[in-house]
Amino acid sequence: MADALTQLGFASWLSVLIASIIKVTLILVGGSVGMMFLTWYERRAISYMQDRRGPNRVGPQGLLQPISEAIKTMTKEDATPREADRIVHFLAPVVMLGATVLSFAVIPWGRMFPVDLNAAVLFVIATGGLHSIGMMMAGWGSNNKFALLGGMRGVAQLISYEIPQVMAIIPVVLMTGSMSLQKIVEAQNDFGGLGWFVFSPVGLLGFALFFTASLAEGERTPFDIPEADSEIIAGYMTEYSGMKFAVFYLSNYMSNLAVCFITATLYLGGGNGPGVDALGGFAGGLLSLIYFLLKSFALFFIMVLIRATVPRLRVDQLMGFAWKFLLPLVLVNILSASFWVALLRWDQQWPQLTEWFGAPSTADATNWGRLAIAVVLTLLINAGAVALIMRLTNRNVQKHLYTTDEELALGLS
Amino acid sequence: MLKTEELQINIGPQHPSTHGVFRMLVTVDGETLVDLKPVFGYLHRNHEQLGEVNTYLQNMPFTDRLDYFNSMVNNHAYARAVETLAGVEVPERAQYIRVIMDELSRILNHATAMGFMLGDMGAWQTALLWGMREREKILDMFEYVSGARMMCNYCRFGGVVRDIDDWFITELKKLMQGLPHYFDDFEGLLLNSEILLARARNIGVLPKELALAYSVTGPVLRGSGVAYDIRKAEPYAVYDRFKFKVPVGTVGDVYDRFLVRIAEMRESYKILEQAIEQLPDATGGFINPKVKQQSLKAPAGEAYARVESPKGELGFYLVSDGSGSAYRYKVRAPSFINLSSLADMCKGYSIADVVVILGSIDIVMGEVDR
Repeated sequence: MADALTQLGFASWLSVLIASIIKVTLILVGGSVGMMFLTWYERRAISYMQDRRGPNRVGPQGLLQPISEAIKTMTKEDATPREADRIVHFLAPVVMLGATVLSFAVIPWGRMFPVDLNAAVLFVIATGGLHSIGMMMAGWGSNNKFALLGGMRGVAQLISYEIPQVMAIIPVVLMTGSMSLQKIVEAQNDFGGLGWFVFSPVGLLGFALFFTASLAEGERTPFDIPEADSEIIAGYMTEYSGMKFAVFYLSNYMSNLAVCFITATLYLGGGNGPGVDALGGFAGGLLSLIYFLLKSFALFFIMVLIRATVPRLRVDQLMGFAWKFLLPLVLVNILSASFWVALLRWDQQWPQLTEWFGAPSTADATNWGRLAIAVVLTLLINAGAVALIMRLTNRNVQKHLYTTDEELALGLS
Repeated sequence: MLKTEELQINIGPQHPSTHGVFRMLVTVDGETLVDLKPVFGYLHRNHEQLGEVNTYLQNMPFTDRLDYFNSMVNNHAYARAVETLAGVEVPERAQYIRVIMDELSRILNHATAMGFMLGDMGAWQTALLWGMREREKILDMFEYVSGARMMCNYCRFGGVVRDIDDWFITELKKLMQGLPHYFDDFEGLLLNSEILLARARNIGVLPKELALAYSVTGPVLRGSGVAYDIRKAEPYAVYDRFKFKVPVGTVGDVYDRFLVRIAEMRESYKILEQAIEQLPDATGGFINPKVKQQSLKAPAGEAYARVESPKGELGFYLVSDGSGSAYRYKVRAPSFINLSSLADMCKGYSIADVVVILGSIDIVMGEVDR
């Protein structure tokens, strides 16, 4: 975009500035408006799952409902508790929203990359980590028992789940050899745009683990402990009202959206898909953007589906799940990812081995053969690990645990 | 050992998951519950005193307000108490109608109660709203026969206030066609869900002996493994003519109560099927015409009548001095007595479990505070 502006006769520094401002505005506005319609989308989807209609009065199909709600929250009183730490109380939603918006900077919108950072994966993780600070500020600054409890729970949860989340990305980085999200998308462009990591055993397990950990990061059911309304009212948001509350909400939904974008980029091939390369140019870019958004919204639909179905875990079960279930599986996945890389890039990765055992010759093991071996091996490792851990943590599920009075009389109990 | 400090927290009276104005004075050590003191009385409205001032008929609509989910059952129990006291015969058709209404109440109560419990666990209302959907249909039936959705005021001494007609039976059959799907959907949604099992298995265990000592009744008692159901133990109305089973839990935890309630809905469905089939024609009448409803006078004496309400044993105790209103009127409310076991159920579990355990007892504050 900057080049086009320079050609129009703008000074080079000015064209770069204008281009950046346009991009930033697009991301910020797109993110917030997208989030508003995301709430509509979620409410309508859940409504249909629950046999009701959901918001359908404001505008066609209730599409303008989020706008009316935005106006409502803006006109509401913004109350700060008398004993609260005013500055911290005010800054907490700002920190939350800021951290969320930052992560939007590196998301590859199909093939339209706003920023190509060579450590984009790290950047996303780091901005995700900032959330815990905002949460703790909100909990502490509100001077309310429930808010503090919610803030503490939130921070404990974020810290616990960040570890499996980050480690679930390592296989992707191993397979790609880069931390740039753009490079990761490019690496998934084999097989006519369908070589997504999720189709390999390593990527599949990684996808499941990363998405689960991300649900906890985004405080979505079944991990919505910091906001468990039946236990601690609204958690760290208890003392917030008006626009500050709306900002929390905004940041929550935007970070959920960001998680969907990142997951789609890391495991579902980002904007890759059949036809993108064939079209090329602007049309290809547009198609890739559509693919990317479709994948992300499909992921968000899974989040909505989970929210409409399952209860939440208890706080100790939540921690146990992160440390006893996710973490071992993540470690196993890294192991199988290294096998995968070693088998497929024998010659590139380990030149010493080639010296000792000779180069993998294409005559006896073609790429397809090595791929098959890699798939079988990693599948065995991953499936074995999942089965073992399921068995170790399983709580003996029985059907029909109740007896009846007639059976009791017969002595069957 | 690290020294920890105990903290007292008030849950309620205004709290999303206390099911009304109910307060729990909770002492916690970290997240673990050390002591729980239930505090109630916020909804006290002199029900029993009013029952001694009102005439017998005037008190009938007041019983609707006890357990406002199951006004039909409350009416039935109260009518039975007065009928026992005054020695009133009830036509067979009226008995069948009462049974149909009782079993419909049981289905709607269990459907919503389990929905609320899952809501307390954090399942975002899906189970609850599916239950509400069925409840709406049943409430429409109630509205058709009695004129009111929830405050039915349907029973009279010696029968019911209005007969049911063919339209009702057709609609009831239509409604019942959908019920098995609902039961299956509800079971399929969460019954074997790993998270539900983690949240409900071995949580809030009420051992058999303790349950009996607290004189807990209803699904809570049956969840603890005691096959006690007044419909079987002391068959009233025409319950001895139906074939049905009493589901019994094994451990006495939240999950068992959940299972028992689902199984009970299915048994209620069976009773409804049989009741519709056996329903006598209208020649016998739906109310005893000899009873003077307005000016009913009972001979001096006392009577206790009980029915198996969806929440447990609902009993009405009446003492008459021969006048037109009761000399003493006492309600044995199942919610109140089941609630007394809450502290023992909760000790040692975490705060998050307390709301779930409370939900699994299935209380209605209108009945706890009278």
